[in-house]
Amino acid sequence: MKTVFLDCSPKTKLSASGFVASMTGVFVSGNKKKMKLRTKADHEAVLKELEDADTVVFSMPLYVDGVPSHVLPFLQEMEKWCRDNDPGLRVYVIANNGFIEGRQNEPLMQVMENFCIRSGIEWCGGLGIGGGVMMNVMRIMIMVFLGLTVLKLAISGINTGVFPEMDYIYGFLEDLAVVLLLGCGIITFVIWLASCINRKKAYGKHYTRIMLPSFVFIIFADIFFTIISILKGGIFRGWFSRKKPG
Amino acid sequence: MADVSRIIIHDVDEAFHEQLKTLSGNVVWADGKYAPCQGCFECWTKNPATCSMKDSLHEMCRVAGQADDIVIITANCYGGYSAPVKNILDRSIGTSTPMSTYRAGEMHHTLRYGKKGMIKVIVYGDINDNEKATWELMIERNRINHGYQSKELVFVNSVSDLEVSKL
Repeated sequence: MKTVFLDCSPKTKLSASGFVASMTGVFVSGNKKKMKLRTKADHEAVLKELEDADTVVFSMPLYVDGVPSHVLPFLQEMEKWCRDNDPGLRVYVIANNGFIEGRQNEPLMQVMENFCIRSGIEWCGGLGIGGGVMMNVMRIMIMVFLGLTVLKLAISGINTGVFPEMDYIYGFLEDLAVVLLLGCGIITFVIWLASCINRKKAYGKHYTRIMLPSFVFIIFADIFFTIISILKGGIFRGWFSRKKPG
Repeated sequence: MADVSRIIIHDVDEAFHEQLKTLSGNVVWADGKYAPCQGCFECWTKNPATCSMKDSLHEMCRVAGQADDIVIITANCYGGYSAPVKNILDRSIGTSTPMSTYRAGEMHHTLRYGKKGMIKVIVYGDINDNEKATWELMIERNRINHGYQSKELVFVNSVSDLEVSKL
């Protein structure tokens, strides 16, 4: 069995879509291939890879209630390719949005289902994730924390002769537990999705989120964008102003 | 001075564009000669309401932001906008701000240009029943997301069925 994971984020690295695709891939058995779908230049290689695939998993961000515009020409090309080649593919979708409610991905899911119907390939369902961006930020931060913990362990070993300093390890494990707790919905639904891929079963449509009340998530999101806007300077360039065309 | 209270976005062709230009409103032809959104959020965080890419959509969110009403004429693409039209919408998120709020009981971004009037979407081409249902949902989601007070969705077989003067 061969499964192709398509990371449809326009970002070249550290995309949330790529991360969730990789996380799903961990639980999928058989031959696996992960590819980027960013530009028209990627189309040919992706279609070539799909020739002997059984399953394709699209992982993408939600853009303005739908599929990002750069993915649409690929879907249209793939529809023609499917009608010419009758590949018998099974299609799963992972969609990821910046708002907390996973259900906001529903129009994207329907578009992807409609694409499958027109292409004559099997729509097997999808997972919509609310606040997936936060999961991506947390996984980057936890890697940074891991690095810092190792550094602190080394320094304390050199300075005090105590190695390993267990307080640093416990501190890191606490941070890891918080990440796992906030991400437990995403992790559970991803494992379920992978299980359906392995069993060649329909998954249906399911929605999950970062395990935070929405008002807390909104505060985090506002703080995140405020910090980024200070660093990038936008906050001092008419952050909320009703700018007119130049 | 051009009427900026309405924006008309279409993906048809140059001849149709010339016809639309006789109407009131700012007419934008989605000709696809621009780059897709890169998801950098710099239209929120670096140069507000300005895209970091310097093509014809560089200040599209400002143009869209001026208008109270929007009319979109688009080919059907699986129950959503055609790629050139969707590209314009994706590049226009600077009409909102990075700050979040609740609208219709769920999380959305606050609106840089305030609440809007009407979103009207005219979809042409071959559209099946599943896609029509998706369009209904899509327009309602767009209405809430962009802060429009009302919406109208029209399906036509072909652009030639449209009476331009009545748009």
